[in-house]
Amino acid sequence: MTTTIIWTIAILTLLGVVLAVVLYLVAAKFRVEEDSRIDDVEKVLPGANCGGCGNAGCRAFAKSCVETMDLDRNFCPVGGNGTMKKVAAVLGIEVREKAPMVAVVRCNGSCENRPKVNDYGGYASCRVKAALYSGDTGCPFGCLGCGDCVAACQFGAIRMNPDTGLPEVDQDKCTACGACVRACPKNIIELRNKCPRGMRVFVSCVNKDKGAVARKACKVACIGCGKCAKVCPHGAITVEDNVAYIDFTKCKLCKKCVAECPTGAIHAVNFPVLKNKEE
Amino acid sequence: MKKTFSIGGVHPNDSKISAGCRIEMLPVPQTVYISMAQHLGAPATPVVSVGDRVKTGQVIGEPAGFISAFVHSSVTGTVKSIGPRPDLAGNKVTHVEIAVEEDEWAEGIDTSETVVREIPRDNAFILDRIKSNGVVGLGGATFPTHVKLSPPPGKKAEILIINGAECEPYLTSDYRIMIEKPEQIVIGAGIMKQVLGGPRTVIGIEDNKPEAIASMQAAVEKLSVLSPSYSGIEVMVLKKKYPQGGEKQLIDAVARRQVKSMGLPIDVGAVVQNVATSMAVYDAVMKNRPLITNTLTVTGDCLPAERQKNLLFRIGVPFSFIIEQTGGMPENAVKVISGGPMMGKAISNLDATTVKGSSSVLYLTAAQTVRRPESNCIRCAKCVEACPMGLEPYLLNKLARNGMMEELEQNAIQDCIECGCCLYSCPANIPLLDVIRVAKGDVMRAIRARSAKK
Repeated sequence: MTTTIIWTIAILTLLGVVLAVVLYLVAAKFRVEEDSRIDDVEKVLPGANCGGCGNAGCRAFAKSCVETMDLDRNFCPVGGNGTMKKVAAVLGIEVREKAPMVAVVRCNGSCENRPKVNDYGGYASCRVKAALYSGDTGCPFGCLGCGDCVAACQFGAIRMNPDTGLPEVDQDKCTACGACVRACPKNIIELRNKCPRGMRVFVSCVNKDKGAVARKACKVACIGCGKCAKVCPHGAITVEDNVAYIDFTKCKLCKKCVAECPTGAIHAVNFPVLKNKEE
Repeated sequence: MKKTFSIGGVHPNDSKISAGCRIEMLPVPQTVYISMAQHLGAPATPVVSVGDRVKTGQVIGEPAGFISAFVHSSVTGTVKSIGPRPDLAGNKVTHVEIAVEEDEWAEGIDTSETVVREIPRDNAFILDRIKSNGVVGLGGATFPTHVKLSPPPGKKAEILIINGAECEPYLTSDYRIMIEKPEQIVIGAGIMKQVLGGPRTVIGIEDNKPEAIASMQAAVEKLSVLSPSYSGIEVMVLKKKYPQGGEKQLIDAVARRQVKSMGLPIDVGAVVQNVATSMAVYDAVMKNRPLITNTLTVTGDCLPAERQKNLLFRIGVPFSFIIEQTGGMPENAVKVISGGPMMGKAISNLDATTVKGSSSVLYLTAAQTVRRPESNCIRCAKCVEACPMGLEPYLLNKLARNGMMEELEQNAIQDCIECGCCLYSCPANIPLLDVIRVAKGDVMRAIRARSAKK
């Protein structure tokens, strides 16, 4: 009886030792050299794995940073400048500050501004709807209102406004990862400069139809008249395909275009309200 | 035993309410809008200008590529404008607007009703007539017919199938032409048979159309006595099952041959043409008459019996005019469909105009169109059983929602024929087809981009 137990223990011990040696040798032979800094960089990242940087996840981003040693082309939109500074400290290189961005919905076609011309009864997904037809309003460029952007946002920064039927971005929660930009089949959402105190001037319309057609479909459509481009002292506005676009890198927030726009398609948000204007 | 295709399929109620209605002529409105994109492939280029006077049957659009087709004026009148106009899905397409005047046909067109039975011997002449008269497949895909009748070198047609299945519920336009104009269809089949070098020719009709079967059989018998060109054409009765009218399904049903993934019917030696196309071929070759009319069904459960119609319409007539002429929209209709209830498209814009392939104005009620709430997949595999292409819709749905493009391609999403059997059979009301259709588009684009790079 005792011999059986002893033999068992002895054989198993021997087996364990042999296998341990084999495992050690295999591990030594097939060892993958990985820069330890990848782990260090990954530790300082937010860990959201959102893909906003263009990589598959935070680890892939860390790898990319370490391999290229270039922080101009690698930017974590979620962590922002704070995180990038930490990454720079780990890698021991310099990083230039990037202006924070925010997602902007360029459509103001609420139920009131843009009346419905038919009822969509299909599956509630913008991508499916866009593949089927031009939409339930007269504007074939505007927001479809099924909320693919809301579903795409991992940070809870977008919600549908039930009154307007349009998505709204919470600029405090928005990390500018760009998931909503990719989810929108109509390319309405754009990442724009966040600006001090969140002040922004942008054209809230992407309708490429001619003025009369666009206006018929939606009261607040950009009609491509070009008045804003003429009045802009900084040359920030261009009109292409019957729709104006404000280049946020050139815009100095003077708001001259806002006053000039005949349809109110240019929006200025988060500006302090001037007292004399209110009166 | 009657034949049908071997895998998948569903059995929706066929609801052929308008089957007994004779084909009537639809009057011509004051203005017609003729679309330049009525066929698969590149849209035609308009060759008239504003102010021109055009005659019925005159060419107004020329093909803009190999896979493209001629477009003819369906009326006599003056060109008022040429420009973009929303089609039934709201997408902007170039239309030629014509103010209608007294009907006057262009020269060289035989407008008489006498049936011409002598097939010209010159195949090049026949193909040229089919091409120049703008004949496209009227079974749904509107693929230019002359392209289909010219198999690529090295491939030979061994079987020509004339598709009289009309498996979509409600539609009865093919059924009516099979009853009212069977001879023309058989002559058209004879012409195509000759062009393809005399393959076996089968007219496939589902067994829910006994009158059409009898009428087609009588026409075949009558013609085969008259001329050897028509001998050997068979009428095959098929067991009713949706989507029997799908090209690949019909080839399987009739010839028991399977087209491989991403393949074309000609790879297995088959050419499929719809009965309406066959009639258009007859008109084009024997009468030199361009494809400017087609038959459509006005139907729906909510439409009273006396207002159910099968109409011969001039192409370019707005849907709103058809609705107005047939007594307006029924009160409880909430959706108007062009095409059948399974594969047809909802008309989002009633001012859109009819095109060569328009086959119906179908009214659906709120109860028929309501989407029941979606629940979780219970892995019952009913969709797998129903898919006539042997795909796994539940899996494609999952992969599509996760954006797994490579896996979608491995699971042959590109073979989906968008018949809707999966969606029809799903007990959890998962929008399988909606999701798969979008993903299929993405995969097809990726495949095309890849082959363009090579």
